[in-house]
Parts: sequence; structure tokens; C-alpha cells
Amino acid sequence: MYILIVFLPLLSAIISGGFGRNLGEKGAGVFTSTCIVICWFISLVIFNETNLNTSILYLKLGKWLDSELLTTNFGFQFDVLTGIMLIVITSISALVHIYSTGYMSGDPHIPRFMCYLSLFTFFMILLVTSDNYVQLFIGWEGVGLCSYLLINFWFTRIKANKAAIKAMLVNRVGDIGLVLAMFVIFKEFGSLEFTTVFSVLNEVSYSNNMTFICILLFIGAVGKSAQLGLHTWLPDAMEGPTPVSALIHAATMVTAGVFLIIRSGPLFENSPLALIIVTVLGALTAFFAATIGLVQNDLKKVVAYSTCSQLGYMVMVCGLSNYSTSLFHLMNHAYFKALLFLSAGSVIHALADEQDMRKMGGLIKFLPFTYIMIFIGSFSLMGFPYLAGFYSKDLILELAYEKYYLTLAHWLGVFSALLTAYYSIRLIYLTFISNSNTKKERLMEAHESSWNITVPLGGLALGSIFVGYLAKEVVIGTVPPLVVPTIVKLIPTIFSLLGAILAFIGYNSFKTYKIFLPKINRGTVPNVVGPVVYSFLNSAWQFNFIINHFLVSKMLKFGYLVSYRILDRGFFEVIGPMGVSKWIVRVGQEISNLQSGKVYNYTLVMIIFVVLFILVNNL
Amino acid sequence: MYNEYFVTAVTLFILAVLGIILNRSNVIIMLMSIELMLLAMSFLFLINSEALDNLIGEVFTIMVLTVAAGEIAIGLAILVAYYRIKGTIAIKSLNLLRGGKLLATP
Repeated sequence: MYILIVFLPLLSAIISGGFGRNLGEKGAGVFTSTCIVICWFISLVIFNETNLNTSILYLKLGKWLDSELLTTNFGFQFDVLTGIMLIVITSISALVHIYSTGYMSGDPHIPRFMCYLSLFTFFMILLVTSDNYVQLFIGWEGVGLCSYLLINFWFTRIKANKAAIKAMLVNRVGDIGLVLAMFVIFKEFGSLEFTTVFSVLNEVSYSNNMTFICILLFIGAVGKSAQLGLHTWLPDAMEGPTPVSALIHAATMVTAGVFLIIRSGPLFENSPLALIIVTVLGALTAFFAATIGLVQNDLKKVVAYSTCSQLGYMVMVCGLSNYSTSLFHLMNHAYFKALLFLSAGSVIHALADEQDMRKMGGLIKFLPFTYIMIFIGSFSLMGFPYLAGFYSKDLILELAYEKYYLTLAHWLGVFSALLTAYYSIRLIYLTFISNSNTKKERLMEAHESSWNITVPLGGLALGSIFVGYLAKEVVIGTVPPLVVPTIVKLIPTIFSLLGAILAFIGYNSFKTYKIFLPKINRGTVPNVVGPVVYSFLNSAWQFNFIINHFLVSKMLKFGYLVSYRILDRGFFEVIGPMGVSKWIVRVGQEISNLQSGKVYNYTLVMIIFVVLFILVNNL
Repeated sequence: MYNEYFVTAVTLFILAVLGIILNRSNVIIMLMSIELMLLAMSFLFLINSEALDNLIGEVFTIMVLTVAAGEIAIGLAILVAYYRIKGTIAIKSLNLLRGGKLLATP
């Protein structure tokens, strides 16, 4: 059964990919969904055994690399962390599979799509169940590959191609960090298995390389979890189909980086410097992404930046050594973010693939069910009391307050909570409440989707409401109650509600102006600061511009001028085949010029050499 | 005692060589210079045979004269054949077999 949860998705992918033609569109959807739902039930049983009954299981299938120095097994490890991750992955994946059968209906390549989704699930499960870094790396690269394939699913679109390549390459920067970290770990510990590494930690930990290892591991996490600096691929990845965004770029793949930090927690504990870097970068990411989310006009990009922001929270709390809290937020976040994405997909589906929020509005009458779902997801995201997000997000902020030397992180986090509430309400307002900007004929056709789109939404909504409360004791039961002032406990909720009210008032401005500020004419005072700030935030702090113009184009020029023109076609050609052959031909021609055809020259040469010969002979 | 004769012979030989090298115009002068070379060599042989008091040099001189006669006969025959084809005996027109840029550049 434990092996089945790993290989059932693989079987599903192989059959859907290889024999999808025979299965048909409907058959592929039903078959893969069934496989993943079975996985979900298995993961529930595993959760029962590992987490509730605390019976951890190690499984060795066989040897993979076996040299004198390094032995790597095909090994699986089902512990508390894996149990929770499996629940998250399989439940989100199963619901997304079911959702996709409805959302993608009419697409000609459904078997391929379902194959990629199942393959992704397989790699993700391989990632979380592995008992060594090498097998973790297989899963790590596998989800990157599936991300590429899925973003590029509509491969005829040039934007999708570009986004997929970007996602692959930016992830690859982080992957290099992970590979280097593995090298250093092997050098220090002589093994890559988690159990071995963590058990000999005390013998090695005085070495300075611990900081080095942790920072390299963190670079891997930065790439995969879209932290500040390597985050640019995540918003672009929204070019893929919406179920893909929900499964990969909200719930599972991006959390692989956080999972890596949690898994390597014992290593990070030995390096205070790395922990501070992790916290600060996480807090900055949370704040940065939240500010960008304020002004995005694309429905999915708002949610994407929100994901980026929440990942910042998770990473931040990892740096505060509270890995279980991070895992708890990861779990809750997966449910409400998948819910938000799938609801956004439902809206987009209802409006015939319109993603711009400025062209929506007034959908509350047409899509009441989706409205409720997005409402639940957003309030869970805001950390509204009693919903899932509340249990983890508020705890994260309190923990950040407790570490007095990182006040910066706490306040960035709190302010991000305000911004999160603001853009969540903005999304709801512009999409559902404000006056409609949609064409009339589209609005007339807007309707709720079929059952296989609404049922996953309902399931995820239940998750968004209840998971936080239900899993609280299991996941963060070990975190002791915090002794912080009451006001600090209240601040995140107050800030969130403040942000929500601000957004509602701000976007309800027509009415607000009538009531509070009747005499201000908005057109008379030219606003200078506003457009600048707006375009700065709307273009994501110009990160793409900076990277493209100061890094990518320079590298491209370097590659063309230095690598290609100076080295490959220049230096190596000159000392290599082309240069030598041309030189020989030229020298041969010059030598043949000596053959002037004039008899007296021949005589002269003859005499000169006779004289030389005599002279040399007499020396 | 024979020093002046040696000097004379070598000077003649060098004159003949210069006659070939410096002569840019006429093939007949070239042939004459070759004859002069051979004569200078014969002269050297004779002086040597006189100085060393043996006959080998004189025998050799007679053979050289024979060779010189045959050589000039063949040389003039070539010259005549050449003149029939080209209509000139200028040395400048003798350089059809030169080297230079005859190879095709790849």
C-alpha cells in the first residue's frame, strides 16, 4: 500500500499518456481521477498510521548507486512530515484532476493533460517520500519538468512557450544550489540519507561548512518557492491552464522549496546566520509580493503574487525555527489557494476566457456559488478568525514577534497581512460587486459550470474552513502557547480587517465620495506620485526589467561576443583546423612565388646555396 | 708562381656567373657566358695539370671542350626551336613556368 501510493500515479500517467488514444477523452479523465482518488484514500490511511499512531515506516526497495564511498537506495520514508505532505498533495491533486475533466472539456489533448497532471503527482510524491537527498532531487527535477510541460500545454501560444522556458531556467538556478548543497553534504557527512546525516550532525556541526550547506539549500528553496530574486517565473507561469496553476503553482510544487527547508531543519538549526537570512528574505518576499498584488489587473496574477507572499510567510517562520508552523501554513495555504485558483478558473470559464478584472464586475448575481467560494478562500487567506488561515498565519506573526531581534520581519509580516486583505477584497469587489464592465452578450451567457467544476470547489471550501481547526493539534501540538501581549495577538486580525475595510471603502468610492467628501473634484488636482507608484508596483518592482536588461541581455551579449565570436569562431578557429589550413595554403602560395620562371633567379639561388654549402662545410 | 693564372681563371668564372645573373635581355649572351664558364674551368684544369705535373687535367680539358661543343650545339638548337614558336629570344619572355597564385583559394 505504501508503494502503491507512489507508483499508482505513475501507472496512471503511463496509461493515460501511452494509451490515451484508446481510452478516449472521457476515459482518460475518469481513469486518472480514479487513480488519484485511490491515492488520496491511501494517504488518509498513511496519515492515520504515521501521524496519529506515530508509527514511522522506512522502506528500502533496492540499491541504486553502490560504490565504496556512496550508497544510495531506492528508499522511502513515511514520517510525520511526509504524512501531512501526502494528504495535501493527493487531496489537492485528486480535486484538480476532477476539476480538469470539466474545465478542459472540449480541449483536443485531454489524455496528454491528464498524463502530465498524474506524472506531476508522481514526482511530487516521490519528492516527499524519499529518504535521501538524491531521490528527493529526482522528484525535485521531475516537478520542474512537469511544470515546464504543463505551462507549455498550449504549445502553440508563444507566451506560453516563453513562460515555460523561463520557469524551467529560473528553477534551474535554484537546482544548482541544491546540487552543490548535496556535494557539500556528501563531503561533510559521507552520506546523503536523511537518517545518517541527521544522526551524525553533532559530530560535524562545529564545521563552518554548515552555513555554506544551509545557504546552498536555501538557494534551492528560493528557486523553487519563488522567493525574492528568483520569483519572476511564478507570475509568468500563469500562462498555463488554470488547473495547472492551482495544482502546481499554488499548492504543491512551490511548496517543495519550503518542504526542503523543513526536511533539512536539523541542518539549519546549526547555522544561526542561515536562519536569519531565511527569515529576512522570507519576510521581504511576503511584503514585496503583497505590494505587487495590490495593483495587478489579471485575476490569476493577483492570486499568483498572493501565493508568492504566503510562501514568504512559510519561509520566514522556518527561519524562526518553527518548522511545524511552517508546515501547518503550507497545508492550510494549499487548500485555500487551490480554492482561490479554481474559483478564478470558474470565473474565467464563465466569462469565455476573460482574465482581466477590469472587464469583469457584477458577477455576484450570475455566479453566486463561485462568489461564495472565492469569499471563503479570501477570508481564509486573510486570516479571518475561525477559518483555516487564521490558525497558521496569526501564529506565524506571533512567533515573529517573539524573536525580538527580528522586529523587521514581524512588522513586514503584519503589514503584508493588511495588504493581503486589501487585494483580496479588491479582487472580490472588482470581480463580483462593482458595476459590470463585461459585454452584455457575455454576461447573458455567464453561468455556473458543470458538477465536476463545482464539486472540487465545494471540497476545497470545506478544507479551507475546517483543516486549520482539525489539524491544529496534530501538526502544531508541539508548539507551546506563546506569552505575548494581547495587543500583539490582536494586531494581525485588526490589520487584516482594516485592510479589508479600506479596500471596500476605496473601491466603493463613488458612494464614499458622496457621503464623506462631496466637494472634492478629482479631476482638478493632477496626481504625479500616483501613476509612478502604480506603474512601479504594476510592473512588479521592475524586477523583470532589471533582470532582463542587466543580466540576461548582458549574458546574451557576452555569449555572442566572447564565447561565440572571440573564443569559438575566433581563437579556437585560428589555432584550430580552419586557421591552420588557411595558413598552410597561404604559406604554400608565398613559397610558390619563389618560382619566378626567370632563369637568372634560379642560377642566383643555385650559386648562393653552393656558396653557403661550401662555407658551412668548411666551418 | 701560378697564382696570377689562378686569379685570372677564377675572375673569368665569376664574370661568367655575373653574366648569367645580371643579364636580363638576351639568351645568346647567356649561352656565351656558359661557354665562358666552361673555358674558365678548362683553364683551371690546365693550370692545375701544369702545376701538379700530371696529365689528368689535360685529358679532362679535352673532354670538357667536347661537352661544351655538344652543349652549345643543343642549346642553340633549343634556341632556334624556341624562336620559331615565340618569335623572340628575350629572357623576359621565358617565364611562362612561374609559380604564384595558381592554386584556387578554398
